[in-house]
Amino acid sequence: MKPSSSFDVLVIGSGPAGQKAAIQGAKAGKRVGLVEQNREVGGACVYQGTIPSKTLRESALQMVRFLQATDVFEFRMRDDVKITSLMTRLHHVVRAHGEFMKEQLTRNGITPLHGRAKFRSDHEVDIHHVDGTCTTASAPLIIIAAGSRPRIPDHVAIDHEHILDSDSILSLVYLPKSLTVLGGGVIASEYASMFALLGVQVTMIDSADRPLKFLDQELTDQFSLAFEQTGGRYRGLQKIQHVQWDGYSHVTTTLDNGETVNSEKMLVALGRVANIEYLNISAAGLEPTSRGLIAVNDHCQTSVPHIYAVGDVIGPPSLASCSMEQGRRAVCHALGLDPGVAPEHIPMGIYTIPEMSSVGLSEQDAIGKFGSALVGRAKFYEIARGQISGMTNGLLKMVADPDGKELLGVHIVGEGATELIHIGQMGLLHHIQVDRFIENIFNFPTLAEAYRVAALDIAKQRSRR
Amino acid sequence: MSISSPPSLVEAELAELRPFLQKELEAGTLDLPLLPVVAHQVLLVSGDPNADSSKLSTLIQQDQALAAQILRIANSPAYAPRSPIVSLQQAIAWLGFNMLAGLAFSVSVQSGVFKISGHQQEIQGLWRQALATGLYGKEIARRIRHNVENAFLCGILHLIGKPGALHLLSRAPSPTGSSHSWTALEILLDEFHIPVGTVLGKTWKLPESVQETIQFYQDDQYHHAISPAKGTVITCLAHHLASLSLQTSPMNEDAIRHLPVVRELNFYPEDMTALLELQESIRKNVECFVI
Ligand SMILES: Cc1cc2nc3c(=O)[nH]c(=O)nc-3n(C[C@H](O)[C@H](O)[C@H](O)COP(=O)(O)OP(=O)(O)OC[C@H]3O[C@@H](n4cnc5c(N)ncnc54)[C@H](O)[C@@H]3O)c2cc1C
Repeated sequence: MKPSSSFDVLVIGSGPAGQKAAIQGAKAGKRVGLVEQNREVGGACVYQGTIPSKTLRESALQMVRFLQATDVFEFRMRDDVKITSLMTRLHHVVRAHGEFMKEQLTRNGITPLHGRAKFRSDHEVDIHHVDGTCTTASAPLIIIAAGSRPRIPDHVAIDHEHILDSDSILSLVYLPKSLTVLGGGVIASEYASMFALLGVQVTMIDSADRPLKFLDQELTDQFSLAFEQTGGRYRGLQKIQHVQWDGYSHVTTTLDNGETVNSEKMLVALGRVANIEYLNISAAGLEPTSRGLIAVNDHCQTSVPHIYAVGDVIGPPSLASCSMEQGRRAVCHALGLDPGVAPEHIPMGIYTIPEMSSVGLSEQDAIGKFGSALVGRAKFYEIARGQISGMTNGLLKMVADPDGKELLGVHIVGEGATELIHIGQMGLLHHIQVDRFIENIFNFPTLAEAYRVAALDIAKQRSRR
Repeated sequence: MSISSPPSLVEAELAELRPFLQKELEAGTLDLPLLPVVAHQVLLVSGDPNADSSKLSTLIQQDQALAAQILRIANSPAYAPRSPIVSLQQAIAWLGFNMLAGLAFSVSVQSGVFKISGHQQEIQGLWRQALATGLYGKEIARRIRHNVENAFLCGILHLIGKPGALHLLSRAPSPTGSSHSWTALEILLDEFHIPVGTVLGKTWKLPESVQETIQFYQDDQYHHAISPAKGTVITCLAHHLASLSLQTSPMNEDAIRHLPVVRELNFYPEDMTALLELQESIRKNVECFVI
């Protein structure tokens, strides 16, 4: 007979969603088992996603600032320092973050179970270990937090050497001269702008007419402008006929119109797929959706009431931030604990260069809902802090109801956007009127002043009516 | 085929040669050859993001023997060109830039650096092992999303200390005047290839991850490696898989599946099955690479 263990809560996957679910269970005094197939805990977020991409971005920005300063301070950096030092810092940060996660789980008395989870029944999970042995764990409550991985399109042979995905792009040891990025979503845009900033010739190719189509166009226009200024090209409305590594120096992308784009490397970022095939969810009485996800209700509960699914495995918004909250709330719901008020306004942060962030209704959505909307704008270069920092391309856009009174949404492009957005988020949560941004005092000089300037812009339009 | 010597003779040879190598190493002034200019440049070019294939082919052309070898390999059945390959540019296109850079390096080292007479077959065996390790290293790196080019380079160079040690031994005094038995030499290569390789790596200024691999690629050592590229641990498993595929391993498939390095790389049985299935294709590739 296989050795077996039983828990009060069994969590599959140690990414942000699984981790917070496990910690919530432990905090509620439950015996929690956490199954993870990798040696390290933390999931895609720590090893292939948020943490490495953001560290690389931050280091790239610092390096570019540093390189710019070499003119002022008259010193030179070794040419080859570039990517190796970027990567070294990346590995330090990732390792430190991984250690922190592990320590947090240990502190909470969570039992780590290293292996691949596969449902045996709706209460039992087989854990296939790396040494080929198998054990079984059972629990009255099971949380699936198996996350996602890059989607491999049928027509592109990713070899992780010349044609890379968002996991293997992190293995680069030198900067390629040129890079083609397939895709126009968040991951594609973030890496495209980062590599362009580092001096790589980047071409983005996508079927949409502009990158990040789901975002406010004024924001993406600013992004596109900055991207082009660093030498990047966006080829929209394109279909790929085929992609081929020519065997010696180039990846050749042939478009439907016969045109070809050559680059030294390629990044394929055409979405993600949920990690469910290994789980054998049918043994638990679950079926994947047509998009290969696990369907859940508002509490992240699946059709089998004691099995919950959280994070990327249930689909959009597929953010670490949301995944964590889903994990916590799911366990609270299952254990009959009060999870607090459900998050109403989830901010979206996109770490392109420049950053973009958005919360609440877009201008188009507001018009759809109310017939019209008043929109206030503040350009960073008109704000003292923006001038001091030499910011030429920042914009804060405030969306209000047709009377220009109620705040409906905030959209920001420019450095610091992902931090600044939280003021707008709090405003939305507390139904703050637009005028409150005018009546109150902000630190000076700060970028937060943009809120005041945008609110004033709305007030001006209101008074003209 | 080398004829194995009776144990007592081997002991005598070892007793004579071991102190010689030890003294050379202790003196710290190993009389090792310099890396040939072409090989060194090839190595630089392969790690240079600005390099292009024409630069590489120009370099290779400087060494006629090397150019001939590359054309031979590109035309070999394992690479099955659609039409005969007649130019270096075309060969580069067919074999792949990085593969070729590594190959050019190893071919040039094989034929040019170490002037070792005799034991040709055994020396070829060493290169087979190195190349198979490099090729397996690539496949392992792909699986764990680590740098494929670096893994190849670490693999093909991890045993560089063996020809290095042979080179030193070929200059050791032989009281009887006869050449040394391969049995004795093999024992000494196993004992000394890491310290000799370490010196070579430093002298030739090989990339840091390669130097680390040379020093720590063995099962009880890879945990000392700190390079995030993981070339060392990749090479450790690649070395075992390469030996198995070349039928020179003292281990069987099952023993390899249970090595600690497999767990270190977090390879599940199905990952190992996929890697083991590559044995035949790796073997074929190696055959056309060896001079
Ligand atoms: C390049 C990139 C950049 C990103 N940037 C951001 C950002 O800036 N902000 C943000 O909020 N989000 C970002 N994300 C998204 C974020 O990383 C994910 O939304 C988040 O990691 C999802 O968390 P998760 O816990 O659902 O899954 P994951 O983090 O994918 O973790 C799932 C875990 O489950 C394990 N697992 C899977 N199957 C099994 C099994 N059968 N048995 C045992 N274990 C299993 C996996 O090994 C993994 O460790 C980014 C993602 C990428 C790829």
